[in-house]
Amino acid sequence: MTATFIGVRHHSPACSRVVRSTIETLRPAYVLVEGPADMNDRLGELLLGHELPVAVFSSYRDDERAHASWAPFCDYSPEWAALTAGRACGAQVRFIDLPAWHPAFAERQNRYADAEQRYADVVDRLCKAFAVDNVDTLWDHLFEIEPDELLAERLDAYFDLVRDESPAGADDTAREAYMARWIRAAIQEAGDRPVVVVTGGFHRAALIRLVNGGSGGSGGGAAVAAGSGGGAAGVAGSGGGAAVAAGSGAGAAGVAGSGGGAAVAAGSGGDGGLDDVGWPEVPRLPDDAIGGSYLVPYSFKRLDAFDGYQSGMPSPGYYQRLWDEGPRGAADHLVEAVVGRLRKRKQPVSTADLIAARTSAEGLARVRGHRHPARADVLDGLATALVGEALDVPLPWATRGLLRAGTHPVVVEMVAALSGSRVGRLHPDTPLPPLVHDVTATLERHGFDGAAEVRLDLTTDDGLARSRLLHRLRVLRIPGFVRETGPTTGVDPVLEEHWTLSPVDTRLPALIEAGAYGVTLGEAANAAIEERVGPSAGDVERLAGALFDAALCGIAELSGRVLTEIGRSIGASRELAPLGRVLAVVLGLWRHDRLLGTARSATLGAAIASAVDRVLWLAEGIRGGAAPADLARLGALVATRDAILHAGPALDLDRQGALEVMARVAAAHDAPPDLRGGAFGFGWSLGHGGEAARALRGAGTPETVGDWLAGLFALAREALLTVDDHAGGIAAATRPGEAEPEGVVVAGGVAAAARSGEGVAVGGGAGAAARPGGVEPDGGVGAAARQTVAAAREDALVAHVADAGGVVVAEMPADGVGRVSRERLLDVLDELIGMLADHEFLVALPALRQAFTYFPPRERDAIAGQLLARRGLAGSGRALLRTEAPPEVLLRGHALEADVDALLAREGLLDPVAIGAASDVPEPA
Amino acid sequence: MSPARAGKTSATTDSTTDTDRTSRGDKMANGKAASNSNGNGGPPRIQRPPAEVRFADELARLRESDSGDRPPGWALSLQAARRFILGDEAAGITRKFVGDPSLIDRALVTLATSRGLMLVGEPGTAKSLLSELLAAAVSGDSTLTIQGGAATTEDQIKYSWNYALLVAEGPTRRSLVPAPMHRGMAEGKIVRFEEITRCPLEVQDCMLSPLSDRVLAVPELTGDDAMVFAHDGFNVIATANTRDRGVNEMSAALKRRFNFETVFPIADFRTELDLVEAEATALLQRSGVTVPPRRDVLEVLVTTFRELRTGTTERGDTMDRLSAVMSTAEAVSVAHAVGLRGWFLRGDAGSADDIVSCLAGTAAKDNPEDLARLRRYLEQQARSRKGKQWQALHGARHLLPG
Repeated sequence: MTATFIGVRHHSPACSRVVRSTIETLRPAYVLVEGPADMNDRLGELLLGHELPVAVFSSYRDDERAHASWAPFCDYSPEWAALTAGRACGAQVRFIDLPAWHPAFAERQNRYADAEQRYADVVDRLCKAFAVDNVDTLWDHLFEIEPDELLAERLDAYFDLVRDESPAGADDTAREAYMARWIRAAIQEAGDRPVVVVTGGFHRAALIRLVNGGSGGSGGGAAVAAGSGGGAAGVAGSGGGAAVAAGSGAGAAGVAGSGGGAAVAAGSGGDGGLDDVGWPEVPRLPDDAIGGSYLVPYSFKRLDAFDGYQSGMPSPGYYQRLWDEGPRGAADHLVEAVVGRLRKRKQPVSTADLIAARTSAEGLARVRGHRHPARADVLDGLATALVGEALDVPLPWATRGLLRAGTHPVVVEMVAALSGSRVGRLHPDTPLPPLVHDVTATLERHGFDGAAEVRLDLTTDDGLARSRLLHRLRVLRIPGFVRETGPTTGVDPVLEEHWTLSPVDTRLPALIEAGAYGVTLGEAANAAIEERVGPSAGDVERLAGALFDAALCGIAELSGRVLTEIGRSIGASRELAPLGRVLAVVLGLWRHDRLLGTARSATLGAAIASAVDRVLWLAEGIRGGAAPADLARLGALVATRDAILHAGPALDLDRQGALEVMARVAAAHDAPPDLRGGAFGFGWSLGHGGEAARALRGAGTPETVGDWLAGLFALAREALLTVDDHAGGIAAATRPGEAEPEGVVVAGGVAAAARSGEGVAVGGGAGAAARPGGVEPDGGVGAAARQTVAAAREDALVAHVADAGGVVVAEMPADGVGRVSRERLLDVLDELIGMLADHEFLVALPALRQAFTYFPPRERDAIAGQLLARRGLAGSGRALLRTEAPPEVLLRGHALEADVDALLAREGLLDPVAIGAASDVPEPA
Repeated sequence: MSPARAGKTSATTDSTTDTDRTSRGDKMANGKAASNSNGNGGPPRIQRPPAEVRFADELARLRESDSGDRPPGWALSLQAARRFILGDEAAGITRKFVGDPSLIDRALVTLATSRGLMLVGEPGTAKSLLSELLAAAVSGDSTLTIQGGAATTEDQIKYSWNYALLVAEGPTRRSLVPAPMHRGMAEGKIVRFEEITRCPLEVQDCMLSPLSDRVLAVPELTGDDAMVFAHDGFNVIATANTRDRGVNEMSAALKRRFNFETVFPIADFRTELDLVEAEATALLQRSGVTVPPRRDVLEVLVTTFRELRTGTTERGDTMDRLSAVMSTAEAVSVAHAVGLRGWFLRGDAGSADDIVSCLAGTAAKDNPEDLARLRRYLEQQARSRKGKQWQALHGARHLLPG
């Protein structure tokens, strides 16, 4: 009796051919396949006659971890060939690998992913020796398009080489030990008849060693014949003429060794000590865990969408053709599909281009030593002929991995044609995916199975649970569940949802399809949302949508992989405004959401941390001088400041780094004024700003001062209102224990009192500045700012306490040289505006009005009152804010009066100086 | 322009990019060729001989062992030409170009067809070196070069006249001075057209009939000399710089006669790091510095260059690209300068501080926007990286001027 080991690359048509022909020739008693052993009782289900691709979906959940993975099969999978060919010749077919829920698979989502991450070094060397771009081209070159003679030997030599030089991890070792037990048992059971073992090529050499070593003691009559005959050393590259072993002499020797020493003795009797003889047990699910494996339909698109270490062979559409029609047919079909797709998109593809593409592909095949054009030959030929300009990113088949942004549209179509659009369908007799039963039962329980209008109160446990159920169905795109109204951001005070339910025929197919996502509705919704997070790079609004859906579905924590994705996606965003909106919403949820229960969730925390980093990065890059204030951009700064303030310690945000960035932005002369003002307010409100009045004096010209103030008021409008010059500054300057230079710090009140007697010319502008229209500040911003007020007040309190204990002397310098160093912002503003000429004031007015919209009416009253007090005028501030006539009428009246005055002055009827002073007086209506 | 002149021009322009991507082997061969010709009292040594001279022995060996089919007019088969550029350790052929092998395949196949080859890419991606190597491999001659520029005229592309003879004899074959295109067609060789988009459009368009009809008319002459028909082996390799995109866009008619190949900066971090290390070590030795550059410092340097070049960090964050050219060649020269500073100022191998000092001059040049981008990178990106050298880089950010 012998066992034949076939090492395969998952989803390789060439390997499938070897598997099929080997099984048909040997007609073995047992065919052992790398696959989940817990499916062995249900192999019949797999072979019902599905339209491939289908997958075995496995899920697992216990207190510590949750895991979902797929084992996809398509027509050309070697594992599928082993199943079908084995069954056809009457062999016993067994899956022999650990179940998918076993901890050895904890990091895997795709059971049939390539193992090549584990042998990247060897593959690199091979690629260099054969002068090909990457492992996929190498694989095509060596195996896929070559004729079948000696194919098995070449495969064995290749896999022996990579295994010899690459270490196996603990997970691999555990799996191999388990598989070896199955093989030994099968050899023993089979008696004189052969056994065929189909596993990933990476495991083959180790399995031979294990099976051999584990039974070597008895030295019975059985022999284990390794598949490689002796032609192993003859693996020569047909193109470059380089041998596989080029650059690794030791590897070559190893290959020859495994070829020569192929036949080894295997134990037949087992003279004791070998307690693992007999079929190994299939590991049982731990008692506290739930999970299982089920058949689900699959699609080429999903098969191609695995990335990084989860990925397998790319381009399922192409390899399906290769399997069906051979390399020539596959190449022709590829050209046809690409051209068809391009023409459908109205891209011109001329006959001359086609001829050029065909010629190039044939030429490339010849240069590379291929009898028929391989995948990369056809693609290269098409790219050469059809792309008539410089590319922005390298061709995807030269680099591997997912398509990158900026890929040429022609190339995008080419990759789509490779990928194919086939979608699998399960045989009607297949047991329905458990999700269908779960959903049906749940819907019945809640009485949601008919048409209905449903109103849910989210504040009750029952209402919330039902809402989650419906939202989960919604994110899985199960038709017939439409939400009419309900919360849209998580911080809006909507406590009720209104749904319309309507049963439709397409619900069952959609549920079966969704069965690929999970066993229970919660799991499935979780997987669907995680899938949405992945490709949202740079699109933060979409990401926010996914996160909010997760909150609505009651999924508090997404997996660690998704957290990384969220960070990456936010890191790729380019616009401050949407990022700010998202950050504000997410921060709101993180802080306050008791309704949906996402407060303090790690997922949102990760999003907040990434967004804060990204806002700081983007803010520093905005240049370009004066521009109108961008309120959305300022909103981003507000959200970031709030995040630092409220989530900083909990999420370990870099407060110091943020303050440094903002200090630089505030000082950058080429940054837009609103951003500079905002950056200043950022520091100020966190107690590190410096002196607001001085910064205002530096804010520049009439054109920019309003925008600068808009920035400042967006983040720290209390800078204008505090009676002390500013709270944070004092807090920073007078930390207890620090000596203050005498005569520098003057209490703001004293300074104001001292100045109020100065009789500064009463500026009409100041009144106007305090006369913004009745525009209400945006609710969200107001709310955020209000919280900050509270925080700033605490700071101010600390400052007062510090004042009391510190050495603070209220004293005006006598010589007047060291002017008052701390001024009230309002005074300075009043002074600045008073000094504006009429036309300058008109230039500054719109931006100033906008800036003052950040103040709610009550605060505007207070400002107006202070302005009046500054001039020693009695009266109500409120009266100053309301004019009875519309501003245009006032303006016209103003102009008329000016004309009359000018006329009177010309006729010598009035003293012009007196007129000038009088006309500047604000007119309280 | 005479052929000799053309050759010299190409040699001088190429020498600015010659550190780029040439492997250590290139340098060794270079040195060997140079020492051969520079014996005591021998002729002055040529700074940079053309590729077919530098690699004469490799080309000879390839020709001897070449068993493949040669396209008509070619000096080597496609397979041998491929090995000449990509290297073949077993046969002692050095690797001369670091990049995707498939690019070379496509370029060679294009040259064997009736379309010209257009190499486009960022500055400093070794397009000129690649075109030189391809010409040397295919024709055994890389000197038929036209250097494009604002002042290039049709004379320098097709042919001009020896005016003394023209006056004495009238237009004859003897008084005609063939320019690279004339020679390339008559002799069946590859013509290189460097920086084609820097020529005015109307000058570019004189390439149309040689490329499509494969014929060059000389209306001044009569009889057989009036038409120069292209011989087998003739084709054109043009290079263009994506930074010059829009300076002189090519006409659609001319574009159609070229296959475009984009040459990308080295994709693999490790490959680029190795290359920078090897080149910088060689340069430093020549400058009398005896300590090799530190690998961890170079890692920071190469990472910085790659991220500023692509506008993407390792983690995937997008940033603004620098407008300055951040090619591998520039990285090598910064690594060289870092080594020099370290050794001659302090006697060590150079540190992250030196990188910052040198970056201002090479990366930011006189562009204040680039300087601001660089500063932002050092402030925010370097800050969050782990590793001693990154922290040192962040700490040295104040060394940027301004």
